[in-house]
Amino acid sequence: MNVDELLRDALREQAAEQTPATAGFADRVLAVRRRRGNRRLAAAAAATAAVVVAVAVPLLDSGKQDVRPSGGGIVVEKKDVKAHPDQSPPREEISAGGTTLAGYSLAETVEKSADTAVYQRTYHLLNPKTGKYAKAADWSWVAVAPGMKTAAVLEQDLPASRIGLLDLTTGKVERWIPVDHGVGGLAFSRDGRKLVATTYGKNPDLRVRTEGSDDWGQEWTSSRTGFYVLDVASGKGAWTEVKLASDPDDPMGGTFLNTRQDFALATDGRHVWSGNPMGDIGKQFYDFTGKEVPVPAGDKYLSWSVDAGRSPSGKLVAGDFAGKKWKTSSYVLDAATGAKTEVHGQQLLAWVGDKQLIAWDIGKDDKNEFHNRLVLVTVGSDKTVPLTGFREGNDGAAGRWDPLFAQP
Amino acid sequence: MNAEGLESFRDFVDSRSSALLKTAVLLCGGDRHAGEDLLQNALVKVAGRWQRIDEPEAYVRRILYRQQVSRWRLKWPGREVSVPEPPEVGAPGTDAAAATELRLVMRQALSRLTARQRTVLVLRYFEDLPEADVARLLGCSVGTVRSTTHRSLARLRTLAPELAALGPADAERLAARDYSPVEVRP
Repeated sequence: MNVDELLRDALREQAAEQTPATAGFADRVLAVRRRRGNRRLAAAAAATAAVVVAVAVPLLDSGKQDVRPSGGGIVVEKKDVKAHPDQSPPREEISAGGTTLAGYSLAETVEKSADTAVYQRTYHLLNPKTGKYAKAADWSWVAVAPGMKTAAVLEQDLPASRIGLLDLTTGKVERWIPVDHGVGGLAFSRDGRKLVATTYGKNPDLRVRTEGSDDWGQEWTSSRTGFYVLDVASGKGAWTEVKLASDPDDPMGGTFLNTRQDFALATDGRHVWSGNPMGDIGKQFYDFTGKEVPVPAGDKYLSWSVDAGRSPSGKLVAGDFAGKKWKTSSYVLDAATGAKTEVHGQQLLAWVGDKQLIAWDIGKDDKNEFHNRLVLVTVGSDKTVPLTGFREGNDGAAGRWDPLFAQP
Repeated sequence: MNAEGLESFRDFVDSRSSALLKTAVLLCGGDRHAGEDLLQNALVKVAGRWQRIDEPEAYVRRILYRQQVSRWRLKWPGREVSVPEPPEVGAPGTDAAAATELRLVMRQALSRLTARQRTVLVLRYFEDLPEADVARLLGCSVGTVRSTTHRSLARLRTLAPELAALGPADAERLAARDYSPVEVRP
């Protein structure tokens, strides 16, 4: 007998001796999940808030873009697509049909004390003048306005007491908007005229030691307090309190929200909404007085964890992973009827007009779902166009970049 | 997760957790409690993105393997696993008894490997995965899988001199090379 045969026998014997998992294992898992919150959902929430934001106001005339020297790399400039399939994270502008990768962030959990840490993003923003991405380390949160001229930013140490309006060409803050209630997240309206700022009592990116583990996790209770809807031009606006359901017997305080669960403006511009991960429909809409309202028509199929949201015309809604027609595909839904079609891509990130989307996707024969790159996909077409190089590392690994898009 | 998602998650856990638990316990060197913890943590992670996963079992398994390796790195470097006392061996002197004895010796030795070494052996010899698949699952190179297998088998022989009489595994016939360590991030 060889040692590998004995090894096989020993492992099989030991496996065979195991009694089945206890009944109710699934419920145990779900209970633990409810207690801990979920870091992935939080990350998705952060990305959603940053992206849902970016829509409208024309600036980039995609048809007239100059051909720039690529700096030795591969540059694909086809019609109105600027791709750098050899760059990850990208160094030079990535865009398709006017939808631009306005920047990206690298996140890491930075230990602040023995039992607290902060999930910290380092942004790299596109300078529209140079066409290159440059580090913008001053900001803990960035929302880019449609048109790629202006970004709203928050300084480190959230919640912040002022909001900066950054000129993306100069990299300088043009104006500060002071706020009485600490702000942790920002999102522009589709026309870029309004800014929704989510207010928190504590840093929404705070992490604490997960019980019985060395992992960092979210706190159990949310510190979200409400939102501002600000007029970008004047900096004026009102704060609205949104009270969380409270239940002293529940360790989560009666509400399950990620510690960062930002508000964004609804498509109609008259309501705000946010994800509500454990709720029946996963989202909640409010009017500007903070009153809960039913989902406005057309936003029914909106999913807070899918960054692309509704298409520019509002007719289509980007949906979740599908994986039926192709190994990696996602649903696109009719905003009125909910009828589904499939489009290539693992995760739909931003609309390019009404027919195309920028998505994460893996290579054709790739089996590692984390080894993905930005691609341009088209509704009703089998073709995908790579826009960047592949991201390395696993989910949550240092050095993985998260995109931030701006609509034209 | 919506109601439909909850139902399919429960169905999945009900139907697959016993099989997954077997692997988890093996990864933990026979420690049932540690195996349950490992599986529970993996399922918590999976639940978070349940509706975005197309092949849940493959996904859970990948998390199990990686979690086990990173958990060891983070928390219990060099930790030895406590395993229950082995059951009584059959009548001494018989072939069957000798074989049972050897399997128990092997189990004890396995429980004293590092999590990384054990994970590679479980994937290669229990899950019967080719080196390339093990490499993809653990996020390392084929060379690392090969060298880790080689070293782990050598370590088993050191831990259990009783295995000296056994012939070499195919993997032992290859020369060990100095590959970079398995890189797994939490």
